[in-house]
Amino acid sequence: MLTKELVGQIASASGLSKKDVELLLTTTNAVIRETLMGGQAVQLQGLGSLEIKERNERVVVHPRTGEKTVVPRKNQLVFRPVASIKDEIKKL
Amino acid sequence: MADKLSWTELRRAISVRAGVSEKKAGAFLNALIAQVVEGLKSEQQVKINGLGTFRLQPVAPRKSVNVTTGEEIVIDGYNKMTFAPEAGVKELIENNSPQPERSLVEDEVTPLKKLGAQAEEIVDILGELGQPPKEEPVEEPAPEPIAEPEPTPEPEPTPEPEPEVIPDVAPEAAPDPVFIPEPVYTDEEEKPKKRFHFLRDTLICVVILLLLLLLGYFFLRNRLAGWIDDMMAPTPTEQVIVVTDSTAVEGEEALAPTNGELSQEEILAEFLEACGEGDATPEESMYEDLITIEPMHQDSRLAWMAWRFYGDKRYWPYLYDANKDHIKNPNVIEVGTPIRVPRLTKAQRDTTSAAFLKLKQEAEAAIR
Repeated sequence: MLTKELVGQIASASGLSKKDVELLLTTTNAVIRETLMGGQAVQLQGLGSLEIKERNERVVVHPRTGEKTVVPRKNQLVFRPVASIKDEIKKL
Repeated sequence: MADKLSWTELRRAISVRAGVSEKKAGAFLNALIAQVVEGLKSEQQVKINGLGTFRLQPVAPRKSVNVTTGEEIVIDGYNKMTFAPEAGVKELIENNSPQPERSLVEDEVTPLKKLGAQAEEIVDILGELGQPPKEEPVEEPAPEPIAEPEPTPEPEPTPEPEPEVIPDVAPEAAPDPVFIPEPVYTDEEEKPKKRFHFLRDTLICVVILLLLLLLGYFFLRNRLAGWIDDMMAPTPTEQVIVVTDSTAVEGEEALAPTNGELSQEEILAEFLEACGEGDATPEESMYEDLITIEPMHQDSRLAWMAWRFYGDKRYWPYLYDANKDHIKNPNVIEVGTPIRVPRLTKAQRDTTSAAFLKLKQEAEAAIR
């Protein structure tokens, strides 16, 4: 599902205008991004939580050439679905 | 986890930002989540511009083993939910540093490539200390990664100057622990290489050994075959005869396999009869007397008999010559045929003599 469709769906489900939904969606995204940048996790009730995790520096070996390179430390976005949705989705 | 933006906080933040009531924001958020879940179920993925994509990922069923019983079980496949941030968002997050530790990371990465620069720095510092640097500092960075022999190489090049040098360099080597990972990696790299070399070498050795064995086997086999042929052949030099002669056995066997046992007297009588027929053979006069008269055995041949009586199978033409009155082909002799075995003189034993060669030619001609 693409954003456009999502906006339409949300609008029809919540009774808000498409314009409002679009505005709210962009602000939501901005809030989520900024919260994450601030080092804070974001909880999306009924869906899961988004969190930034540090990935340590590590050595990877190229399987063919045996070449070793160091992957520098970096941050990664981690999404953790809640148990209820996990179960809901498990069998489809 | 305490550091988590809760649902209500999120709702409030959105309402403040967008300038809408909290109720509206809440309704929107609830609808958003519901639609995302629905979209996942119906289309397996929901893309939200400016954030990322929620995706449903199937996990294939796999086999496993019950740990307690050792029984094989199949773990059913299932779906799991993943979220992939948009490229721009991902980049932002990756470069974002909640804690200012990234500078440390950079410190670790850059000196890995520039040992020479470090050495120069050390030279500079030593120069500042009023120390004649010369070439010593160049030697220093080499032992540094090992981190242990640092004190030992120092006193050698600088025997006179103040002992300050060592403590001065020691704090300078403080970032060295950062280096330590590097030699560790190189060691790790070298070990598998060594093992690889060892494996390769052993493989080569084994291959060479196998080749040698094969060569030896073929060589020996040829040799053995040669010896066996020599034993059977009348003349070791002429292979044509070797071949034809070996067929003689079969010929003899095929011709008369049954009447192998005749008493000596009968054979003599037969032989004498045969002698009576071809009495006037001039060759017989060549021989002074006979050693014995022997019937042809099965599996025997003239060359074999020559070897037995004269100690050399090359003398088989004499046997043929002495018996050519009743033998037509030296390779085809009936079993039981009496063979005169003449005693050879010294002159006759000379295999290079013209007389012998002539005899041999005759005998060989008889085979063909």
